[in-house]
Amino acid sequence: MRILWMAVPTLWRVAVAGMVAYRAEMVIWILSATLPLVMLALWDAAAIAGPLEGFGQTDFARYFTVTMIVRQLTGAWIVWELNYAVRSGTLSPQLLRPVNPLVYNLFETLAAIPWRLLVLIPLVGGLVAWRPEVLFVPEGWRVPLFGISTLLAFAVAWLVQALFGMLAFWFDQAMGIFSVHFALWSFFSGYIIPMALLPEGVSRLARWLPFYSSLGAPVDVLLGRAGGLEVGAQALWVVALSGLLHLAWTRGIRRYGAVGA
Amino acid sequence: MVAPLIEVEALSKTYRVPVKGEGLSGSLRSLWNREYRDVEAVKNISFRIAAGERVGFLGPNGAGKTTTLKMLSGLLFPTSGQIRIAGFTPQDRAVAFLGRITLVMGQKQQLLWDLPPRESFLLNRAMYGVDPVVFKKTLDELVTMLRIEAVLDKPVRNLSLGERMKCELVAALLHQPQVLFLDEPTIGLDVEMQVQVRKFIADYNQATGATVILTSHYMQDIAALTPRLLVIDHGSLRYDGGLIALAERVAPERRIVVKGGPKELSELGFMEVDGDQIATLTPEETNKRLAAVLARWPMVEIAVESPPLEEVMARYFREGA
Repeated sequence: MRILWMAVPTLWRVAVAGMVAYRAEMVIWILSATLPLVMLALWDAAAIAGPLEGFGQTDFARYFTVTMIVRQLTGAWIVWELNYAVRSGTLSPQLLRPVNPLVYNLFETLAAIPWRLLVLIPLVGGLVAWRPEVLFVPEGWRVPLFGISTLLAFAVAWLVQALFGMLAFWFDQAMGIFSVHFALWSFFSGYIIPMALLPEGVSRLARWLPFYSSLGAPVDVLLGRAGGLEVGAQALWVVALSGLLHLAWTRGIRRYGAVGA
Repeated sequence: MVAPLIEVEALSKTYRVPVKGEGLSGSLRSLWNREYRDVEAVKNISFRIAAGERVGFLGPNGAGKTTTLKMLSGLLFPTSGQIRIAGFTPQDRAVAFLGRITLVMGQKQQLLWDLPPRESFLLNRAMYGVDPVVFKKTLDELVTMLRIEAVLDKPVRNLSLGERMKCELVAALLHQPQVLFLDEPTIGLDVEMQVQVRKFIADYNQATGATVILTSHYMQDIAALTPRLLVIDHGSLRYDGGLIALAERVAPERRIVVKGGPKELSELGFMEVDGDQIATLTPEETNKRLAAVLARWPMVEIAVESPPLEEVMARYFREGA
């Protein structure tokens, strides 16, 4: 671990340099994660006549604004990177360095966050100008819990993507499998519909799934619709997915090479 | 006797590859009834390499050279057999082991594509925990040896293939590895660049005493760099020894070439090719025939040649000598 900690500042700096090199691509990527604004427009129109299951226009505006913020802070792309690296063989030089390629990707992902904030701030500013009621003061204790929950959501999102990326060790069409996951995730994470608007039985179950842990949980924590229990579930998912990641990685690299690496 | 640095015992690697029938029906059938075929890429090979040696892996495409090299570097897990390198088992990929080796692949790069090579070098410094003072000294030496000062701050995507390969070598050597695995390090380079890279590898081996294990399709790489040759063919080790000894065994004959020689040389078994008189003979016959030619035509321009190495190896793989 000694080498790893020494490497942190340089990993960070090089990752940021990489972001700068890809600046145009990054901005497009970031903007593509603004679907919550589209959803806001739709739900806002639907709520003109009156609140839906207790969600009025202001609730929707706050919900999708926070959703967009959390989505930006928890965005990952390791599934594409890992899938490509395994299939093309570019994982080989990465495997020969003393720092695990997954750790390196984690730093790359973290390095993107300042860029995401740069795009996010004007977007949120625009939203506030359009709908000033978006601004609200949460209960004091919810703010630190929101921070913890967002960190855990980042971990869940990254771990799930890493696991799907590792499917490339076993399958040619790992990205197809990930597409199926993405469809389920969009629905059960709260990305396109607040959890509270799902049928009660579905909502009760969905709250304990990793989809919700990777996005909806911190949103609901800040807005007062979730609390310590949901954050506890997130922490359990991080532990379980980390164990699975370790298992998949040690098994996966044993298979590596059978696909022309 | 000094213990060998690399010990390989009964090493084998079998790939399991799916077999798909032809056409759409074959694709559909393989959806629920997938068949597999075992491909034995490396079969039961054993060898030892001492510290500081330069060894070439030679063999036709698909012979198992690169698979062996990847198992030695820890990238691939053997199906059976043992590898020990400086006391490590490569597949454990221990940090101390990774710090002692490097693998350069001519067709797979580690440099960050959109950043200048200097960034990749700094990244490797950090990842390998190289002391900054040692790093600067090593980098300066490598940059001077390879003459790449001018490209250090250009994005990698803007470099020529030769410049990139030189930078790959620098990135691979900054942590001063004791063992260099080089997989086709001169592939795609022009002749002059090939010569430069070969010279660099030989100089590096001389200066540091590092062990060099190389695969290449270019016989010139092997002839210039590796006194010891391991010939791998169809996954098996067929030859372990010197290149000259192998050439003598496979193609001992010599060619006597008399430049613009007289037609009467046909009486001594010569044939005319492009205006020259040429005879191909056993080593014993060569001396006698030379003496006979010079006795009758003492002023002719004459040369004695061994068959080209490419021809020797082609014959070796074709005839299984």
